[in-house]
Amino acid sequence: MPSDPPGPGGFRAFASLAFDPAAIGGKPEALAGIRVLEVATRIFGPATADYLGVFGAEVIKVELPFRGDLMRYVAPEGFFWKDVSPAFLALNRNKLHVGLDLHPAEGKELFLRLAERSDVVVENLRAGTMDEWGVGYLQLRERNPRIVYAANSGFGQWGPFSAGRASYDATAQAVSGFSAITGFPDQPPLKAGFWVGDYTAALMSATAILAALAARRKTGEGQMIDLSQAEAMIRTLDWTWPYAGLTGKDRARNGNVDPSFPPSGIYRCRDGFVAVSARDEDELIPLAHALGATDPEESRIAAPALLEAFCASRTVDEVVRGAEDGGFSAAPVRGGKHHYRDPHLRARGTVCPVDDPLYGRVDEYGPAPKLSESPGRVKWSAKPVGWHNEWVFGGLLEMTAMEMKALERKKVIGKWADVPGARPPKGSTAA
Amino acid sequence: MSDFAEWARRATEPSTAAGKPEALKGIRVVEFCPGHFGGMVAASMLAEFGADVIKVEPPGGDPLRLVAPEEIRVAGTGLPFLSEARNRRFVTLAAGDPAGSGVLRRLVLASDVIITTEPPDRMEAMGCGYLSLRKEHPGVVYLYLSTYGSFGPDAGRNVRDSDLLCQALSGGPYIVGEPEREGAPPLPHEAPTRLGNWHGWFVQGLWGAYGVLAAIHFRAETGKGQVVDMAGAEALMMFADYNITWMHTGGKARERVGNFDPAVFPYTYIRCRDGYTFIAAYNDEAFDSLMHIIGRPELTRDPRFSTPKNRVTLENERALLALLEEWSGNLTADEILAAVEEYTSKQGGPGAAVVTGRVNRPLETLAEENWRERGCFLRTEDPVYGELLLAAPPWKMSGTPARWKSGCREPGSDNRDVYLGILGMTEEEYRGLAEAGTF
Repeated sequence: MPSDPPGPGGFRAFASLAFDPAAIGGKPEALAGIRVLEVATRIFGPATADYLGVFGAEVIKVELPFRGDLMRYVAPEGFFWKDVSPAFLALNRNKLHVGLDLHPAEGKELFLRLAERSDVVVENLRAGTMDEWGVGYLQLRERNPRIVYAANSGFGQWGPFSAGRASYDATAQAVSGFSAITGFPDQPPLKAGFWVGDYTAALMSATAILAALAARRKTGEGQMIDLSQAEAMIRTLDWTWPYAGLTGKDRARNGNVDPSFPPSGIYRCRDGFVAVSARDEDELIPLAHALGATDPEESRIAAPALLEAFCASRTVDEVVRGAEDGGFSAAPVRGGKHHYRDPHLRARGTVCPVDDPLYGRVDEYGPAPKLSESPGRVKWSAKPVGWHNEWVFGGLLEMTAMEMKALERKKVIGKWADVPGARPPKGSTAA
Repeated sequence: MSDFAEWARRATEPSTAAGKPEALKGIRVVEFCPGHFGGMVAASMLAEFGADVIKVEPPGGDPLRLVAPEEIRVAGTGLPFLSEARNRRFVTLAAGDPAGSGVLRRLVLASDVIITTEPPDRMEAMGCGYLSLRKEHPGVVYLYLSTYGSFGPDAGRNVRDSDLLCQALSGGPYIVGEPEREGAPPLPHEAPTRLGNWHGWFVQGLWGAYGVLAAIHFRAETGKGQVVDMAGAEALMMFADYNITWMHTGGKARERVGNFDPAVFPYTYIRCRDGYTFIAAYNDEAFDSLMHIIGRPELTRDPRFSTPKNRVTLENERALLALLEEWSGNLTADEILAAVEEYTSKQGGPGAAVVTGRVNRPLETLAEENWRERGCFLRTEDPVYGELLLAAPPWKMSGTPARWKSGCREPGSDNRDVYLGILGMTEEEYRGLAEAGTF
């Protein structure tokens, strides 16, 4: 490392070097050497494995031969690009894709052999399915007691709702109470327009996996993690539960004003929307001043109605600059189209180009936490079903081409079906 | 119950956690995040896995204790603080005073991780900047939580981080809420809508904890510490679906569509006799199942609904919602669940992917047996803070379970324990600093 720059601003100078996205390729990865098997569909499981893969774990994504993960066919407005859905790309970076059917005995045995050589299994099938198939935690630990097994589900691996019940993101949004407290009081409950009930739980699952790996370092033993996505969402609802406990009441939907920090909220401006935030008197008094209070100590004037009128007559930029100069806080309400072109996010690698050997340039969200020594990174994009069969079965399991052919004939292993979503882009050498 | 479910229950039931080892035992974390909920969450996540967390509050208590929706306080502390104040020790410290910043430095040097929301220049001025800490403690993991992060063109923006700022910048609210109708002045709810809880702050803390654990993993291999720079704006951003890949490949931006979805349908809340329930059946096989369940199998051949692509135009989503609500309006959410389960239990594979669940009010969630049986909620008793209802750690683990160990304590409750026990202060030194107002 270079010697520390002296004086104030030292950290800023250090940070711009230490976090330089251009230098990431030459640095080690935090989770290098950890191998993850993913047996999952759609979002909850795949996102869990994606978070591990972005920080350097080797993720082998096991899909049913031919059609693969049904998320492949979730496409915004039915749009496929180079025969892959942009929605599938975002969840499956840095993975090795194998097509392997866990129903036939030979498929189970191959999976068990992979598990012997792996550290982590992530699955999100209905509770108990992997066990029924003979490849659940109890069977895997016989072959590999060090395995950390994340069983992601809607309602948990045991309990009244666990048997047979499927779940998506919005099941968790709905049953947890999350949607009931989101939206406006005179309107129906609101479903978040993004699959927050999957990602939140996926990040909690990935976090528990890292904790379990830390434990394994001491004990040498793996374990099973049972995470319900509804229970993950329940955990995020801050004061909802103590409020219900003390008052016997439901916390209300409070629209766009944060009831903990009124009048902080999202407000309409002439040209868009802005979030205005004032956490305490140090910010409320300058905010009141901006709203026209003459007594400098008067913070009560900063009521939502006044702030609403203040914003309505200004542009987003005027409000943000007014806040930064005045001593309260504000930020624009941004969407994906802003992110795509945002120089700040580009400079941070939070929006980053990926140079993919099959698809060419694909822009993605990069990792959220930035690590100065062992940063996360997106190395390649999602691939067609079975794209890495030879790499994994031939390389890792040392199978011969003949053995693989035989299993292909029996449909135990296989590659993509000739449909958009599963297959390589037209005109690519593999297609 | 299946044998596996029986085993899973025995192996992971939260009531059996107390005697088992903890995953992060031996990792000490200093939480120095005045007024900041995301910092509390980051620390809580580590603490639930067994890290030894010391929360540093200013003398008199953390400003977040004063935040009290509906003015509800228990012994002077509001509910947001009480909901996250768990599994940690509470010390007070006038960290801005020279004596106080010296104590903070000693505390961090005796720890593995520091979580802070204080800007780097302030930490440097206090002698607790990363560059100065790592000279003495190269293994230290330094998590900095802020709105925009510590580098990049916006890093110097003058804001005080909050859930709202994190949410607004993330792209989340941009695609939550009702769109504006054409030809009419917009109603208040036709706006990008904040998630009702502090989800921006929560996920900022959760990503922060994840980054710390990745850094600890790396340190175990190499001995090296590092900085984890976590911008709150980028936390929920990771959850904003395919925003960037769609912009890049299709030039299209996500926009607000209320309870509809541009990629999957049916995937929405439908009105039923006792409120609303979620219904999803978007792949062809599942859609066929759902149309049988509602008694309209012919709709799978209706050109508006016959392919996934046709089902996701907004116009067709609206038409299908109306048809679904003709059916659901006379049924309760439980009756809908029973009808779905009855039909799908006979299906295998993709045809069984009909998914439903009632849109619960919090009290309805609390009344459901599943969560009670699985120990998702705790009722804690404390001589100062009374009886509190809290969400339990969400993970059930067979080997080193996460667990709730202790709740909120008054500011400075653990001063003696930490300053004498960990820093090795003498009684005289401790008393001197206490009298000088350092604690």
